[in-house]
Amino acid sequence: MEFGFTEEQMMFRETIYKYAKNEIYPLCEEADLKAEFSHEVWGKLGAMGLLGLPFPEEYNGSGADVVTCCLAAEALGHAGVDSGHMLALGAHTYLCTDTLYKHGNEAQRKKYVPKLATGEWIGCMGLTEPGAGSDAASIQTTAVKKGDRWVLNGSKTFITNAPVCDLCVVYATVDKAKQHQGITAFIVEKDFKGFSTGKPFHKMGVRASATSEVFLEDCEVPEENVLGEVGMGFAYTHETLSWDRSALLAPFVGGLMFALEQCGQYATDRVQFGKPIKSFQAIQHKLADIKVIMEASRMAVYRVAFDKDAGLPLNHMHTSIAKAFMGDWGMKAASEAVQIFGGYGYIHDYPIEKMLRDAKLAQIGGGTSEIQRFIISRLMSF
Amino acid sequence: MDYTMTDEQKAIKENFANFCQKEIAPRAALLDRAGEDEVHSLIKENMKKLASIGYLGMPHEEKYGGTSNDLISQAIAGEEVARACASTFLSCGASYGLFGMPLKMFGNEDQKQKYLPGIIKGDIVGCFGLTEPEAGSDAAAIRTSAVKKGGEWVLNGTKTFITNGPIADVALIMAYNDKEAGPGGGVTAFLVDRNAPGFSVGKAFDKLGFRGSPTSELVLEDCVVPESAVLGNVGHGFIQAMQTLEFGRIGMATVALGIAVACMDEANRYSKERKAFGKPINRYQEISFKLADMMIMTDISRLLIYRAAWAKEAKDPESAVIASCAKLFASESATQIASMAVQVYGGYGYIKDFAVERLYRDAKLGEIGEGTSEIQRVLIAKSILARFKK
Repeated sequence: MEFGFTEEQMMFRETIYKYAKNEIYPLCEEADLKAEFSHEVWGKLGAMGLLGLPFPEEYNGSGADVVTCCLAAEALGHAGVDSGHMLALGAHTYLCTDTLYKHGNEAQRKKYVPKLATGEWIGCMGLTEPGAGSDAASIQTTAVKKGDRWVLNGSKTFITNAPVCDLCVVYATVDKAKQHQGITAFIVEKDFKGFSTGKPFHKMGVRASATSEVFLEDCEVPEENVLGEVGMGFAYTHETLSWDRSALLAPFVGGLMFALEQCGQYATDRVQFGKPIKSFQAIQHKLADIKVIMEASRMAVYRVAFDKDAGLPLNHMHTSIAKAFMGDWGMKAASEAVQIFGGYGYIHDYPIEKMLRDAKLAQIGGGTSEIQRFIISRLMSF
Repeated sequence: MDYTMTDEQKAIKENFANFCQKEIAPRAALLDRAGEDEVHSLIKENMKKLASIGYLGMPHEEKYGGTSNDLISQAIAGEEVARACASTFLSCGASYGLFGMPLKMFGNEDQKQKYLPGIIKGDIVGCFGLTEPEAGSDAAAIRTSAVKKGGEWVLNGTKTFITNGPIADVALIMAYNDKEAGPGGGVTAFLVDRNAPGFSVGKAFDKLGFRGSPTSELVLEDCVVPESAVLGNVGHGFIQAMQTLEFGRIGMATVALGIAVACMDEANRYSKERKAFGKPINRYQEISFKLADMMIMTDISRLLIYRAAWAKEAKDPESAVIASCAKLFASESATQIASMAVQVYGGYGYIKDFAVERLYRDAKLGEIGEGTSEIQRVLIAKSILARFKK
């Protein structure tokens, strides 16, 4: 057992951190305030190769391992890049593009992955429906084969990047009687007939990521756009879990590093009763609690990344613990950070207010904390 | 990066789990309830048993009978010992660790030869004397004095809350030789044999938990020790003690983890057997989510402990802080988990026939011993804040 990073990984992290701090962080506050996805931020992420990290160079990627992908995400969060754009990156690169890369045939890969890896195209993943959240296998969107095309009908909701997407990996059932074994993945371009997206949701946090419904009304998808095998879609969504619980959580780890720095500086500068508030133990203890949560969640998140890099089978105990811990304890940490800032933590002028709103998503998105506990307790009952 | 155990570490886990569940766990309730004299003999027997599988020699060199295992391996074995019997973990740790580690790090060859082989075999028991009635968290406030007279040192003062005090053959005593030396200086560590003139052991404390591990005061009244009893350099005792406590923190985190895992195992097993309203209670989310919380917190505790152990050996500049994080998280998790485990057992958890009642009492020590939770938070915060200038 050893928990170090290679020198190369640390140098890469440092490069990303510096770049993001100077180039991206200054754009984030306004994007959050206006609740607008920033194409400028997206362009900068793309320019640094951050939207295609795990893919081979021939597809415009960098062939990075999972730990490196996590370090990049952590560095962005550490630099103060908002969780909204980080979620957009996560949904695009790891939930959409990676699924397409992993299960696509060579023609599909060649056609889509290079454009997605640079960020020229924006991708999203359409699984969740109004009636199918935690119970994802119960989706109602149907796909019926008609000649050389599939006709999709249904609606998706809470789809990150949908309002700005060029492409959506849509999950639909070809046979409801087969339950999860009927679920199939389709590559749907935004210009396909019958595909449309709804008005962006007005969200509590991660506001710079655009989220909406996706409507499929007799949406026509050519046969060559079936992704992987018919009936295997649910298994593919399962594979995204290891990304969901590593690279998509890493920005929150970085966010806690950012919070520690913000809080440490604020507690040093802020004077009450004639001394900096950092000299009060009540403030010191909150800082310590945030630090413990940062270190602990970091261990749990990189374990999932290590498992994936090592080619170990998906370990649900590891992924669910990472997700539940980051979500629930991360929320506590964000709340303590706001408390250190007092009234200033409650207003938008300081970067901590946003953190609390953003942290709440980690308890909900990509499998609620309750679903994680359900999974963990079921594994314990055997 | 590698989160997997080596084959050797896996073997250590399995061997210790098997041995401790067979030889140590069945005696845990007995130790908890035994009278003072009986506790002394039972705990020494347990230490001998664990010595027989090499536990007390894990951090020590081969030439003294040890096996020079890495810190993570020690934590792996320690968790299994603590899961079986927390008191046994504590008495072993105070002897081979709190007494043995400073001896390993700072002792001369004669001192090591004199004590380490016996400690490792479980033939002699050591203890660590830092805390005083007026100096707990504020360890620099100790008052025990050491005055050099001719070729000997004369020690005067009282130590308290000394694990193994009543059964120790030898104590490492921290005393001031120079009150004026300034912060961190002027303290010297002495190896004091039980039969040294002027050394006596107070009555064993009647404790909430860890009742199988005897604790007492140590009294030094014109206690005379030879020059050869000085450990390392005169004036280095405080730094030696602080370095020792870094190991101690990982140890206290490990015993908290062992207690928490024992609670989780008990609650998990019971919840499958116990039926209410026609089905096992683990089918209710009120129960099963508690079990999940126990799993999350024990697992995270273990990760932090391994990280702290690794950081210490990798000479990571943050190793002391990570040890504090591990100790803080593991110990506070253990009290919460113990409380949940009692709750899962309901009325049965409140009576002494079931292990969770003992574990609930044992768990509390984690938040107090080897630096309270409050002290850990102060230390962690201090390290964070050191970077910021106005």
